[in-house]
Amino acid sequence: MLILQLLVSGIETGALYALTAAGFALIFGATRIFHFAHGATYALAGYAFVLATRLGWAWPAGVLLALVVAIAFGLLLEAAVYRPIQRHHGAFFTVFVAAFGVVIVVQSLIELSFGRAYIAISSPLTRAHEVLPGLYVARVFWLALATAGVIFAVLGGFLARTRAGIGLRALAENPDLLRAFGLSARRLSALAFALGSALAVPGAVLGAMTTGLSPGVGAHVMLISLAASVMGGIGSLRGAALAGLLLGIVENLVVAGLDTQWSEAAGFVALFAFILFRPRGIFGAALVR
Amino acid sequence: MTAYLLNLAQLAAIFGLLSVSLNILIGYGGIFSVAHAVFFGLGAYAGAHVALDLFPDLLLAALASAVIAGVLSAALALPALRVRGEYFVIASLGLQMLATTVFTEAQAITGGLGGLVGIPPPTLFGFTLAGPLVFLFCCLAFLALALALVRQLMRGSFGRALMALRDSETAAEALGKNVALIKTLAVVLGTAFAGIAGALFAFQEEFVNVESFTLDQSVLILAMVIIGGAGTLSGPLIGTLLLLLLPAALTFIPFIPPTDIGAVQQLIYGLAMTLLMIFRPAGLAGRAMGRR
Repeated sequence: MLILQLLVSGIETGALYALTAAGFALIFGATRIFHFAHGATYALAGYAFVLATRLGWAWPAGVLLALVVAIAFGLLLEAAVYRPIQRHHGAFFTVFVAAFGVVIVVQSLIELSFGRAYIAISSPLTRAHEVLPGLYVARVFWLALATAGVIFAVLGGFLARTRAGIGLRALAENPDLLRAFGLSARRLSALAFALGSALAVPGAVLGAMTTGLSPGVGAHVMLISLAASVMGGIGSLRGAALAGLLLGIVENLVVAGLDTQWSEAAGFVALFAFILFRPRGIFGAALVR
Repeated sequence: MTAYLLNLAQLAAIFGLLSVSLNILIGYGGIFSVAHAVFFGLGAYAGAHVALDLFPDLLLAALASAVIAGVLSAALALPALRVRGEYFVIASLGLQMLATTVFTEAQAITGGLGGLVGIPPPTLFGFTLAGPLVFLFCCLAFLALALALVRQLMRGSFGRALMALRDSETAAEALGKNVALIKTLAVVLGTAFAGIAGALFAFQEEFVNVESFTLDQSVLILAMVIIGGAGTLSGPLIGTLLLLLLPAALTFIPFIPPTDIGAVQQLIYGLAMTLLMIFRPAGLAGRAMGRR
């Protein structure tokens, strides 16, 4: 039963990782910007939800606030940090260091305003019910699954059918041709950041209820998103989502055999192996430069 | 007060050595490692064990640390040869996270969270290096050695080849440079000096534990190099002094509560990193426009 129990929590974690990683992959896929501060978006959205709850707002208002904060932060970074850097010189490491600086700033701001301790929101959703003898499942599990399912279905439809979605995919492939067709690369890149940042919100809100938040949560989420994106194939949304789900499951299953400290490390062993032996990931096209 | 200043000066020399060594990878080699604290840590554990289990000779400890860090740097050289750009950064991040776990869990060697305590004061050829001033000179000597070596190497054929493959790996390869060998040498050299810095750090603190070798430390060293100016000789030193003096200066500002100093310090150096990358990406000592 332990394995089944761990599998359940693994799928729950993995569904949320999948969404967050897909956000990162969407942004990287469309704009080729290595949005290292994606974890900071997650942290800000989570703490925005906490703030709303403390103010006594109803949960839909809290989710809305988290969405607004996440999207605004994503757009701000795109306009104020990434675009100025890319205009002058496209060196990826400059982008990386700037984004890392943002991660540090956000983390210390959260520390200053919310304190360093773990914060979790208690909710009736996290109360576990016995589904099978010895197997406890909380309602938040079904909620996480349903959210991930619905969002991926909608996102898939959006990217495949709508004009803006096709534009996003075109932006990834050939920005110059895109301009020739009269589409604005700038507006599409803002759209990618808005959408990608919004994808961090479900994980952040449900994460605030289940595992809790701490100022350092952004770094952890960022690492998971990176790992998932590499394993899935950088830029591949499908791959990132699948790898995110797998990482969540592995992280939880490892606990059955080893100490909990190794759960995060297990993910990084897999990441390291992927980079050494299959850098283009599960679904990635040969993109190694 | 004098003791405090001497302590700060020793730390500045040790971190100066660290940032100069990371500069070999980042500034000259274009190998963007975020795992430098791993090799700092390996060196510190090696140095501590030499001092605790054999005898606390400074040169012996430094040699052991350099060898261990240099040999284990294969873990960094392998991905550096396989992948470039974002992929390598991610690989080194993964290595850093793994190493943090290993440092915490391998208690037989590292002492885990409790660390290794009671490292005796260093000796040199049987003479005890008593007094913080003498030890400071030892640290400065290693720093000077590293600086002289970097200066000499970067003027020679090795340095030119290294910088050539930083700027264009394909072009360097086309000109017949042995890319794999040069990259591996740069990694070994940089990490070996980080190992020596670790040994000095172990003697300086008389205590080592995993908390000094985490991702945060790697980012701090990285920030020193970047803020100062990667690929310049003086840049890493400027960055080291700035970032070490910052927390010291903050403790003298009266209106910040002591518990918040850590967060305020992080805030300032995060901001500095971002703003510098936007407005002056080559760092304080670098040329105004980006070279890469």
